[in-house]
Amino acid sequence: MTTVTNRPASAGPSAPKKALIERLSIITGLLLGIVGAVLAWYLARTFLPVNTDGSYIKTRMDQEVFIAMIGWFVGFMTGIGALIGPFRWLLGKDLTHDETLFYAGKDQGVKRYFRYTTDHKVVGIQYLVITMVIFFVGGVLAMLIRTNLGHAGGNWLQPQTYNTVVGLHGITMVVGAIIMITGPFGNFIMPIMIGARDMAFPRLNALSFWLVVAAVPPLLSSIWLGGIPTGWSAYNPLENQAPPGMDGFIMAICIFAISTMVAGANITATAVKMRAKGMTWNRTPIFIYGVVASVALALPVFPVFFLSQVLSGLDRATGSTFFDVRGGGSPWLYENLFWIMGHPEVYVILIPALAALMEMAPVFTRRPLFSFNLAIMGIAGISGLSVLVWAHHLYVSGWAPLLNGPFMLTTELISIPTGMLFLVLIGTLWRGRVWITLPTAAIYAVLFNFTIGGITGIYLSDVSADAALHGSIFVTAHFHYTLMGAGLTSAIGALVYWFPKMTGRMFDKKLGWTAFWITQVGFNIAFMGMFMVGLAGQPRRVGAISAFYDKGNSITTMGAYIIMTGMLVLLHGVVVSWVWGTKATQNPWFAKSLEWSVAYPVPLENFDVLPVVTEDAYGYGKAQS
Amino acid sequence: MSVETHSHSNPHHEHPDVVGSRNRLGVILILVADIAMALSVLFVFFYLKGQNVNDMWLPAATPDSPAVLALSSKGTWYVTALAGLGAAAHFYGLKGVRAANRTQLVLGGGVALVFSLAALIYQFMQISSAPFTTTSGAYASCYYLIAALNTLHLVLTVFIAFGNWNRSRLGIYVADHWHVDIVNVWWIWMTVSSLLGAFALSFA
Repeated sequence: MTTVTNRPASAGPSAPKKALIERLSIITGLLLGIVGAVLAWYLARTFLPVNTDGSYIKTRMDQEVFIAMIGWFVGFMTGIGALIGPFRWLLGKDLTHDETLFYAGKDQGVKRYFRYTTDHKVVGIQYLVITMVIFFVGGVLAMLIRTNLGHAGGNWLQPQTYNTVVGLHGITMVVGAIIMITGPFGNFIMPIMIGARDMAFPRLNALSFWLVVAAVPPLLSSIWLGGIPTGWSAYNPLENQAPPGMDGFIMAICIFAISTMVAGANITATAVKMRAKGMTWNRTPIFIYGVVASVALALPVFPVFFLSQVLSGLDRATGSTFFDVRGGGSPWLYENLFWIMGHPEVYVILIPALAALMEMAPVFTRRPLFSFNLAIMGIAGISGLSVLVWAHHLYVSGWAPLLNGPFMLTTELISIPTGMLFLVLIGTLWRGRVWITLPTAAIYAVLFNFTIGGITGIYLSDVSADAALHGSIFVTAHFHYTLMGAGLTSAIGALVYWFPKMTGRMFDKKLGWTAFWITQVGFNIAFMGMFMVGLAGQPRRVGAISAFYDKGNSITTMGAYIIMTGMLVLLHGVVVSWVWGTKATQNPWFAKSLEWSVAYPVPLENFDVLPVVTEDAYGYGKAQS
Repeated sequence: MSVETHSHSNPHHEHPDVVGSRNRLGVILILVADIAMALSVLFVFFYLKGQNVNDMWLPAATPDSPAVLALSSKGTWYVTALAGLGAAAHFYGLKGVRAANRTQLVLGGGVALVFSLAALIYQFMQISSAPFTTTSGAYASCYYLIAALNTLHLVLTVFIAFGNWNRSRLGIYVADHWHVDIVNVWWIWMTVSSLLGAFALSFA
């Protein structure tokens, strides 16, 4: 049934039938997904009993929506081919060598990007594209928010629409930021960088990507199901009281959390078990440490996030009372579960971003990384402390006031390992012969932006300062300085750095620099303006604001439009460079890590002969300072 | 990074032990996520029990509804016992394959499959016979949550146990046994997670 056969070039009437795995693609995924959703919805509508038990919040509509979304999920994953491997294992009919090669996308050209392809390079490109799509959607939503806030009174968007736009912007950007480094570069670059032929579990790799795709329709469906009026944190009891759009949010988060867990196990196992001969931990590039720390941190914390949404879904669909005080539940429980993931998630984003910068810094200064051990201590310190800081988000909620002091201490302590990473970057740049490229400029920009983001974070970790600032848009400015100013800027640097390896073309210099400067200028205008109105007391997540804040909001909105211009130039640069860019040489940056030792296009199994590593990747000579 | 390009003796085919070790780590890492999830469920249970918000952990009787009483945890311990017997049977099979005894492997795997099915059926019976619904307060919500998580684990166990038994029967696990070793890791965790649920429900 699923055997791949060598078919003749012309598919005449006598040509053998296509095997099942050859027929499956995103088209069959979408078709089966839609059929599954409609069928499940119909069955739910027909057979679900009428709700007569007098529960507080469950509605029949929520039950139907959840069941339809589960139908979508099962249908889509079946249609894309995710279940073939497990069922073949069950039946004892393992994939043949030819089938494995087919799954790897061998000789399939562009079609492999639309299939359940297991080759890590294909998955890396898929992640790159979906990340850009997610950021585009999130960016459009950001512009809607800023346009609404650009004049006194707002009201350009209806309040419920505004809240939904804010929530969708938040969750799409957080998802995009989580996958922006570990998705494209963790998949495409990391296995080559460690001298492996592929990821440890290629099919899990494809699964993690297609789960992200499967999460998109439920999330977008929320727009037509009444919206998500809660912001991305989806606090209860607001979440339980929200329209069925919330069900789409819950379903999307659950699917995405599974994707993150699967990717975490896969990337960690790859880095631990598949490094080339001779690549001891001391010779392992710092980028690998960053990626592994990020996904390993995600492994224990995302299940907690997953559970928080499962419980919310159960409250909405079955009438359970985990978060409803009338039935013995507690909204504080939700807040704890959410932030046990929510704060480490910031470092899930930032650690690989900073590690990418630390990987690039020696290349563009032609000197070794300043204190490799300090960098590792910094990464380990952040990872460890990040799971002990979550309750600083709960200072003003009234939950366990006695714990405010200890959580303030752990939160402020995290600035020490973060400072170590700053020191490593500055130490590497110090008196180096800096080659000014866009990735180098990204390092300087991140040092500037993250200093502001970090210092304002210290204010928020302080219990008394947080009492004044907590509900204000100051917080929004702070986390944009860290996640966008540091995280996204690092990712753009990484994109330009690894673009030649991933596409075979150099990133257009003129477009790259133009986008960089416009974005950085716009970014600082936008969020400095936001700090200003935040300090003056402008509340977050409010669409209709007082004229008192007009000046700061106008500045922020102007800055946002400048960012949008920069991002469109960047997007244009990606497309132009990818299609028409100057062809890249094998190692245009003269870097020493393994990914630059293979030519473009990188062969299916990366290396004809597996490399044996004899020294670290930063042997650019002795540092002179 | 300087590299040498000594050819490996067989670059495209790895030794089964290498593959097994990698797969074992992968399964353990996925279990880390599952363990975090199970511990979070216990946190939810004890948090809500400790808070007893509005005295609704076990609601008292009202004119409209009777009081909700905690169920005896005996049933959950029975499920755990069935899971434990399944794990023991699987381990017996594993010892068989380690000693190149295929009959013992198939027998152990088959018995493990039967125990996993029995545990699943018993778990379903428990859920369907509970004298309250999910809406009957915080204890009832937590009871169903723990039971549902255990059911999910048991469904996965039946899938894995069937695959393991079927593949053993087909003689796939004769040459090497790392697959069976990994299934053993799952069985151990399945039993422990079931035990954690039973432990929590004993303190209702």
